[in-house]
Amino acid sequence: MAPEGRPVPDPVEDSPDPADTEASLLARAQAGDVGAFERLSGAYADRVFMLLLRLLGDRGEAEDVTQEVMLRAWQGITRFRGQSSYFTWLYRIAVNEANRALERRSRRPAGVVIGADELQLPAPAALDPSRQAENSELRRALGRALAELPPPLRTALVLRDVEGLSTQEAAEIAGIGQAAFKSRLHQARLRVRAAIGDEALVSAGA
Amino acid sequence: MGMPGRTDDHQWSQRHLSHYIEGDLRPRARRRLDRHALGCADCGRGIRAMRALVYAVQGLGGPAGVRAPQTVFDRARSAGPGGPPSSSPA
Repeated sequence: MAPEGRPVPDPVEDSPDPADTEASLLARAQAGDVGAFERLSGAYADRVFMLLLRLLGDRGEAEDVTQEVMLRAWQGITRFRGQSSYFTWLYRIAVNEANRALERRSRRPAGVVIGADELQLPAPAALDPSRQAENSELRRALGRALAELPPPLRTALVLRDVEGLSTQEAAEIAGIGQAAFKSRLHQARLRVRAAIGDEALVSAGA
Repeated sequence: MGMPGRTDDHQWSQRHLSHYIEGDLRPRARRRLDRHALGCADCGRGIRAMRALVYAVQGLGGPAGVRAPQTVFDRARSAGPGGPPSSSPA
């Protein structure tokens, strides 16, 4: 099942070979073919990396954890039974690994402060300069507000609102029920709204 | 217990703006917030702000232009062809 909201890379998109469907790649990967595993998981590697960048706020750490996610997925692929989509399964590993990384970080004597700049992307170039400046300011403010959220709330907001996943899929990835997920999402939005302020949001949305 | 007062309605509405725009309120609760927001500039602006917030967060974007590093499969490759059979908990 593909996640809602955003187009998902198709492992077969650039190959006419019908043997390279996700199902056949999965079967080959489960039989020990690391090349098939790379092709299967490579379709989602950019999204996983971007998710980790948003959750961790540090490019170097996101790169390291992305490698760890792929190692965990490879080591655990024989246990994947198709009860969720492969994408959901991989994303869940990514969220778990992000949480582990954040726990390790919190145990360090001088914790690394999450980089707000990593939580945003450059503003689109099509806007006029004044609008683009306003937009960039809002994006920076959003980046800072996201960085200040407790990790469970940040995960909820990123999965649902940034990634555009359905509540069902986002809750599954976060490893909690839908009601608990919604509660985190609503708390996250209220905190970000409070951090940015209604005036700034309304004027940006006007 | 009596009917909730205006202050109760205001505080309750402010706490439920995200539920409101998400469509997570039951009809009666939605009507309560609608009624209150009609006469409350703060809550009317709060609804617009919450919608703008979700729109802006969605605009932070997906993976376009951001690429995973080339090294992403290095550890999996190092695990060798016996990766899945000698698996450890994922």
